[in-house]
Amino acid sequence: MLVGAFACAHTPQLLARPGTEDRDLVLRVHAAFARVKQRLETLRADALAIVAGDHVEAFFLDAVPALAVYVGTECAGTFGRYRYRFPIHEPLARTIVEQGVERGFDLFYTQQAPLDYAFYVPLHFTMPAPAVPIVPLHVNVYLPPQPTPHRCYEWGRALGEIIRARPERVVLMASGGMSHFPGTDRYGSPEFEYDRRLLEALKAGRGRELAAITGEELDKMGNIELRTWATLLGALGDAKADVYCYEPSWHHGNAVVEWVP
Amino acid sequence: MNGQPHYRFPPASAYRLNRCLFALKSDDGFRARFLKDARAAMGELGLDAEDAAALVRGDRDALLARGAHPYLVFMADLRLRMEREPVSFEFF
Repeated sequence: MLVGAFACAHTPQLLARPGTEDRDLVLRVHAAFARVKQRLETLRADALAIVAGDHVEAFFLDAVPALAVYVGTECAGTFGRYRYRFPIHEPLARTIVEQGVERGFDLFYTQQAPLDYAFYVPLHFTMPAPAVPIVPLHVNVYLPPQPTPHRCYEWGRALGEIIRARPERVVLMASGGMSHFPGTDRYGSPEFEYDRRLLEALKAGRGRELAAITGEELDKMGNIELRTWATLLGALGDAKADVYCYEPSWHHGNAVVEWVP
Repeated sequence: MNGQPHYRFPPASAYRLNRCLFALKSDDGFRARFLKDARAAMGELGLDAEDAAALVRGDRDALLARGAHPYLVFMADLRLRMEREPVSFEFF
């Protein structure tokens, strides 16, 4: 069953803060993460399915999956001094890949791939103790051509149906967003007004609007990562978003959001 | 960006360049070898002279024009700067 849903920013400056980042802003995002952690404890999740876009860490140009499921017994990743290792909820991961394929999604799977910070930055701040097993679900956001937002939404719809039919209490989390343009001339000027308009639509329960956005528009607005949100919203339908925070830094729209499925 | 997407299909001609940026981002051993002797490290991956020159100069525009992926340029540069000029980070 699907018992909770969240979207979390994952910018690594929230984990290791250089002097360029406003400390108070970072702490406000941490406070929103703390609320998510508290909710995860209350929800007594058996598994946390986290949808994120690998930042060319597990998947380089040697093999570029559009949609992938991690189905090993555990997964690990490192970023500088940080070292993470998480158990994978293997039965749920395997069901997702098997039933996903049955439903027409030609999923890539891996039993051994490094975990990207897009997965573990939110988990660093929100994982309850003892740790809940995870199912990492990759959506290609950085290596064009990426899956369309519509396709992500449809995959999310199937994912939601698969999870709802399971006996475990599952929380779904989307990692990423909002507007940012790493490595481009636009790095210092994200599209914060676009983010705010989109959050208003999500608060009103109009999540399906994300499915109608083109990939071209997401790129233009610095929101290529919202494919992970489109996936989550496919599972949620018209649930209304509770926006814990929207904190625009000089380069990134940091949002933390909950939906009650 | 002249109407071009910010993130474009990485041309196959830039595979080695992107492979090198990926290694600088994600391979601690390669990054250490690069910092010790950049030319030798780039030689391991068969970079041509123009790619190597752009990378040594840290010339983002030239790297992008040669097909480098913007995110890889960004994160490779960040990881190199973290090694070269250890700025003070607050670790959470």
